[in-house]
Amino acid sequence: MARTTKIALGIVGLLLIALPWLINPYVLQIVILTMTYSMLGLAFALSLRVGLPRFDIAAWWGVGAYTTALLMQKANMSFWLTLPIGGLMAMALGWLIFIIAIPRGMMVFLLFGMVTAMAMQQLFGSVDFFGGWGGTGVVPQPTIGSFAFAHKPELYYLGLALLALNLLTYYALYNSKIGRAWNAIGSSLKLASSVGVNVVRYRIANVLIGNFFLAVAGSYFVAYSLVAVPDSFGFQSSIFVMMYAVVGGLFHSLSGPMIGALIVTFIPEYLRVAKEYEPIITAIAMILIIVFLPMGILGLADRFRPWLLWRRRNAAKAGAESAGE
Amino acid sequence: MSLDLFVQLLVNGLMSGGMYALVASGFTLILGVIQVFNFAQGEFYMLGAFITFGVMSTLGLPYPLAILAALAGIALLGVLFHLAVLRRTMIHGFFHTLLVTVAFGTLINQSALLSFGFREGVVSPVFPGTWLMGSIALSPGKVVVIFGAILVMVALYLFMKTKMGTAMLAATENRDVAGLQGINAERIFWVTMGVGSGLCGIAGALIVPVLSASTAMGTNVFTRSMLVVLVGGTGSMSGALLAAFLVGVLESFAFHFVGQFNLLAIFVFVAVLLFFRPGGLLGKPLPIPGQ
Repeated sequence: MARTTKIALGIVGLLLIALPWLINPYVLQIVILTMTYSMLGLAFALSLRVGLPRFDIAAWWGVGAYTTALLMQKANMSFWLTLPIGGLMAMALGWLIFIIAIPRGMMVFLLFGMVTAMAMQQLFGSVDFFGGWGGTGVVPQPTIGSFAFAHKPELYYLGLALLALNLLTYYALYNSKIGRAWNAIGSSLKLASSVGVNVVRYRIANVLIGNFFLAVAGSYFVAYSLVAVPDSFGFQSSIFVMMYAVVGGLFHSLSGPMIGALIVTFIPEYLRVAKEYEPIITAIAMILIIVFLPMGILGLADRFRPWLLWRRRNAAKAGAESAGE
Repeated sequence: MSLDLFVQLLVNGLMSGGMYALVASGFTLILGVIQVFNFAQGEFYMLGAFITFGVMSTLGLPYPLAILAALAGIALLGVLFHLAVLRRTMIHGFFHTLLVTVAFGTLINQSALLSFGFREGVVSPVFPGTWLMGSIALSPGKVVVIFGAILVMVALYLFMKTKMGTAMLAATENRDVAGLQGINAERIFWVTMGVGSGLCGIAGALIVPVLSASTAMGTNVFTRSMLVVLVGGTGSMSGALLAAFLVGVLESFAFHFVGQFNLLAIFVFVAVLLFFRPGGLLGKPLPIPGQ
C-alpha cells in the first residue's frame, strides 16, 4: 500500500472515530443506517465479482434480523451469541437454495433470488411465530454486563466495528487464492473452468460468505431499531442495495458500495423534497447515472486519475529541477 | 371438494395463468432477442390496466377501443424506453440494462402510487351475469379473459411466422450472422421491445373488467412470471405458455388449501422441479448471456 493511501486511511479512520462528537444525533442516526446499507452493498459487490447479481439480499438480511430478534426475545439469549447464530442460520438456509440455483447458471440464480426475497417476506409476515405483519414485539437492547447499547454513539461504534470486520474479511479474501479464483470466474467463466477452477463451488462459497455478513447486518439492524418488521425486508430493499453498488461504481468492490450508500442515503435528506416524491427522484437519478455515468462516481474518479498522476509527476519533475538549480 | 368449487378454482387458475403467459412470453421474447432482463414488465401490465380503466371510465369509450389504447400505449412506451435509454445502456452489458429496467419499473410503480395511491380502478363488468351449467356457475368475464389470452398467444405465434418474426428468431440464434443476412438489428430491437411490452398492455387490458386495476398488481404478476420462466426454461416460449397455465392453476388450488402460503408452496414446487429438471419443463433453454 502506498504511503499516501496509508495516511489517507488513517485520517478517515480518526474522523470516523471522532464522528459522534462532530455531528448531531439526527445525522448520526443516518450514518448508522448508511453503515448497515454499506454492509448489504458489500455483499452485493462480493457476489458480482463471480458474475452473480443478487436479488435476495433483503431475505438474508431479514433472516439475521429475525434470528436475533426472536432469540433475544423468546430465549433471552445474549446479542453477542445471536450474531454468529444468525449468520450461520443464513448460511445454512442459503445453502439449501444455492445448491439448487447456482449450478443452473446466473439467470436461474437471479430469478431464484428474486422469488426467495418475496417468499421470505411472506413467510415472516404470515407465520404467527414470527409475529405477523406488525413485526416482532420490542427486542431488548444488546448489553455487555450492565452496560447497555442504548444511545446513538455506542450503537455507532458497534456498527463501525462490524463494518470494519466485514471490510477486513472481504479485503483479505479478495487478496487470497480464493479471491483470485473469484476474479477468474468473474472475468471469464469458461476460461476459469478450463484451468481447473471449480466454478460452482467457488460461487457457492462466495454467496455463503455474503450471506453470513448480510445476517450480521440484520442483527445490527435489530440492535438499533429494536424491532423486526417484514416490510423492511421486502424486495424493494434488495433493489436499493443494487443502487448503492451502481452509484458508487461497479468495479470497486469495497469502496463503491459504501460511497454509493452514503450518497443515496444522504442526498434525499438534503434535497428537501416532499417524502412521497423521493422514490421517483431516486429512480430518475438512477436511470441518469446508469446512462451517463455507467461506471459510477468512483468510475468518474478513475477517469481523472491518469490526469492527477500526470500532474503530480510534472510537479515532482519541476521540484527536482528547481532543487537542481 | 365439490365439482362446482373445483371448476371455479380451475377457471381462476387458468385466468391468472393466461395473464402470466402473456407477461412471461413478452419477457422471454425480450430476454431472448435483445438480451435484456426486463424488470419493468410487471409495471407495464399494471399501466395497461390503468390505461384501460382511464379510457373506459373517464373517456367513456367502449371496451375494444380501450384494449387497443392499452396495447398501443404500452407498446409505444416500450419502444420509447428502448430508444431513449436501453439502446444507450446495452453497450455496457447485461447487468446495466437489468438495473436500468429496475429503475424504470420503480419509476412507473411509484408514479402510479403517487397518482392513484391504494385506490382501485374499477370498471363495470363487460360481460355481466353468470352462466349456469347444471350446478356449476361460471362467470363469462373470466372465460372471455382465458380465451382472449389464448387468442393473443395464437396471434403472437402467427406473428413469429412472419418475416419480421423469423428475423427476430434469427437475431436470437446468432446476431452477427443475422446481420450478415441483411437483418437490421436496430429495427429488430425496437420492434421486439414494442411487441414484448405490448403483450403486457393487452394482458392488463384483459384483466381489468374481472379484477380491478391496482398499483400492486404489477409486482404480483411479475413474481409469478418469473416462476413461470423458471418452470418453462429460460428462453423457451412454448415452455412459458405451458408453465404459465400450470403455475396459475397450481396457485389457485394452493390458495384454496394453504391460504396466503400459496407463493411459498409454488416456490417449493419450482425448487423441487428444477432440482430434477434443470432446464425447465420442456428441457433445452435458449442461450442466455452470462451463464
